[in-house]
Amino acid sequence: MSAIHSSQLSFFAAHAPFDKMEPAHLLWMLERMKLGYYPLGEVIVSPEQGVAGRFLVIKQGLVQGEQSVAHASETDAWLELAEGECFPLGALLAHRPVASIYRSVVDTFCYELPLSDFHTLLGMSAPFRDFCTRRIANLLEHSKQVIQAQYTQSSSEQQSLNSPLSAVIRGAPVTCSPQTTVREVLARMCDAHIGSMIAVDSDGRPVGILTLPDVLERIALPQIDLELPVIGIMTLQLTFLPPHALAYEAALTMARQGFRHVLVVENEKLVGIVSEKDLFALQRVGLRQIGSGIRHAKKLEELQQSARDIRRMAHNMMAQGVAAEQLTQFISTFNDLLTSRVVELEYDASGIGASPLAARLCWMALGSEGRFEQTLNTDQDNAIIFTVPEGMTADGVRELMLPVARRINETLALCGFPLCRGNVMASNREWCLSLDEWRRKFSDWITNGTPLALLHASIFFDFRSVYGAHALTDELRLWLSRAASDNTRFLHQMAENAMSNRPPLGVVRDFVVGREHTLDLKLNGITPFVDAARIFSLAAGVTQTSTLQRLRASAARLKIHPSEVEAWIDAFLFIQVLRMRHHDEGQERGLSDDELDNRIDPEALHELDRRILKEAFRQARKLQARLALEYHL
Amino acid sequence: MRNWFSRWFGNRPQLAHEQQRRLADWQALPRASLNLPLSGVRCVVVDVETSGLNLWEDRLISIGAVAVVNGKIDLGDSFYVVLQQATVSDKENILLHGIGGSAQTEGVPAPDALLAFLDYLRKDPLIAFHVTFDRTMIVRAMGAYLGFSFKHPWSDMAYVMPALNPALASRYHSLDDWINHFDIRNDARHNALADALVTAQLFQVGLVQADKKSIADFAGLRDLEKAQRWVNSVS
Repeated sequence: MSAIHSSQLSFFAAHAPFDKMEPAHLLWMLERMKLGYYPLGEVIVSPEQGVAGRFLVIKQGLVQGEQSVAHASETDAWLELAEGECFPLGALLAHRPVASIYRSVVDTFCYELPLSDFHTLLGMSAPFRDFCTRRIANLLEHSKQVIQAQYTQSSSEQQSLNSPLSAVIRGAPVTCSPQTTVREVLARMCDAHIGSMIAVDSDGRPVGILTLPDVLERIALPQIDLELPVIGIMTLQLTFLPPHALAYEAALTMARQGFRHVLVVENEKLVGIVSEKDLFALQRVGLRQIGSGIRHAKKLEELQQSARDIRRMAHNMMAQGVAAEQLTQFISTFNDLLTSRVVELEYDASGIGASPLAARLCWMALGSEGRFEQTLNTDQDNAIIFTVPEGMTADGVRELMLPVARRINETLALCGFPLCRGNVMASNREWCLSLDEWRRKFSDWITNGTPLALLHASIFFDFRSVYGAHALTDELRLWLSRAASDNTRFLHQMAENAMSNRPPLGVVRDFVVGREHTLDLKLNGITPFVDAARIFSLAAGVTQTSTLQRLRASAARLKIHPSEVEAWIDAFLFIQVLRMRHHDEGQERGLSDDELDNRIDPEALHELDRRILKEAFRQARKLQARLALEYHL
Repeated sequence: MRNWFSRWFGNRPQLAHEQQRRLADWQALPRASLNLPLSGVRCVVVDVETSGLNLWEDRLISIGAVAVVNGKIDLGDSFYVVLQQATVSDKENILLHGIGGSAQTEGVPAPDALLAFLDYLRKDPLIAFHVTFDRTMIVRAMGAYLGFSFKHPWSDMAYVMPALNPALASRYHSLDDWINHFDIRNDARHNALADALVTAQLFQVGLVQADKKSIADFAGLRDLEKAQRWVNSVS
């Protein structure tokens, strides 16, 4: 005999995942639940109780998970749970004791389901199982829908750039054999109203492409013989993507290389062609247009216009709910293009572009730019690496380069990349160095491990090449990965330093906020992930600079479970998106670049976002726990 | 008043054979020992809704109850019944407990409803807030519809909580006072089941407090209650 009052059901209906569960399953669960009372300070679950025996949902109150000293190595480092939240999922799923002591922070009531019923429910209810096994991924999915709803521009008919190319290509491509005459190809292009013709060999492999702009340049102007085989005037360097590649990759390829077409090839055979026009249907901002605008910009105004276009594109992509990883990739790609163009123009103007020195120079991105994690208000962090030509000294090269670098820094500032307050810029003589000088500098930092050295390492060790002689940065990177992974004392110091920045989860409230009731998403949210990823990658000899790639690449070598890494990455990306939305909203309100910041008021967030942010911070704690474990901190 | 007298002292109600057997079965259950540790005893927290506050005139409309075992409320072990009414209670009353006219007339016939409650209760001790009201209503209904005198151990949170929290005793009187103090939320006040649930949550708080004062059994709770009644009578 049992009776459940509807008010109990409405409590559950207000919280994920119960809101997605079938009423019958919810009722089944409720009938098997007990309601426990835990006065302030009482231990609810602890490692000493053995294998976790019940699934708890907080009806009212607040519960804190404290790491017990005996289990300091476990990764369930820390958490704070409020009404409607469930615990201890990990321990229940793994049939193990909890790693933390769960204690009530105020008088608390919890619904409790016995372990066996918990497992029955997992088998019974798909939403419940989904939630328990992929908690953060699920919350993120929820949140994405909310974000999309918030942006008015997003419309359902707008296809996403996340579609695979197989869904974008229309019909079989029009092809010809390489030996077809130019005359016949032109006639067929005209008849079929197509902008390009692809030559394929007898096995269907594409070998060349002719596009309309080529007609003028290669046929009409040189007045070639129309009876020649078409292959002779075709572009033979073709860009392929597989059908499962996403539309955004095609867009990026076009933007990067300035092509209007990307061939879709499966098992070496041509299966379709994606033109810029096809992608236009997916994306309002013409990506290739922005790219070509940048490549052809000559004046400051044109560069500034391109910078504005990049931001508009970022805004539109946010509106479409483009995933954070791709979004930052877009922003980085275009910012790189813009920076390259600024550097190129300045080199040409100063005569360096035409000098033999040009081949010995590389413009490097550092810090967040080096990690491909730029948002819309990122400060410049850059440097120059060079090799000294015969008959010159390093100082001589520097004297030549510093004024040029100064002008580059200033132009970039006018394009919306504020000058670095710490003067970490190529125009600073300290950061315009030869390969040997960089090695010595890095070597110094690694051996000394002073606070300043650690600070520098956290900016400079994320270097990558943007423009010029890539080989120089590759060589420096290779050298660094060996030098750093050998020096465990230095890595230990870096880890210790990273641990001093704890994600701001509070004891009584959800978040610890400063006097202004705000959180710094960059310092408190992003930095713990970035720092840990850098240390892991240096230790594992991973050469990537992006935090995501560093985590993924290090995980295997450090024997961290992939699902754990993916949870970190989801958390990291969520905070990134939150930051970018914050900047985007600031810009929409008319704030200037200098006024954009990373501070948000957690109270002002959507309830779901608050929860995910908490979960993301919790993941940051887990990552730090892992770091502490590796370095015995 | 006549009506009530005739029910109370008049003809015993006519029970069907099956109903008689159920009642006899219940009566044959052994009495609960009041000296067992509270942690091992099943206590039933009860609340009733009635057609009004008059102990002698008004009728029992619904009973809600939840069981507390070992300090935890067992949601699966809960009870709710609406008794079938010959006449529907007035409008203000309906607005209070939310059991509409048709629900009242469509309820479970009173003898069956009360037998179901006895089956659920077994001989386990009862807990309520302001016992006098709930007890009188239930005793009267048992007498009228089942023809027996319902004698049962009760403990009254309206006395136990002040005894455990002397500093609050003078200020707090109603169930709302106490549940507000302990921040217990009630989303459906004046529904017998929801009120039984918050009373049970209050009982949970009381159990923890009693445990700290080394009160370990039901008899101890009743001693506490008696002491508080005495305090109330002299102050």
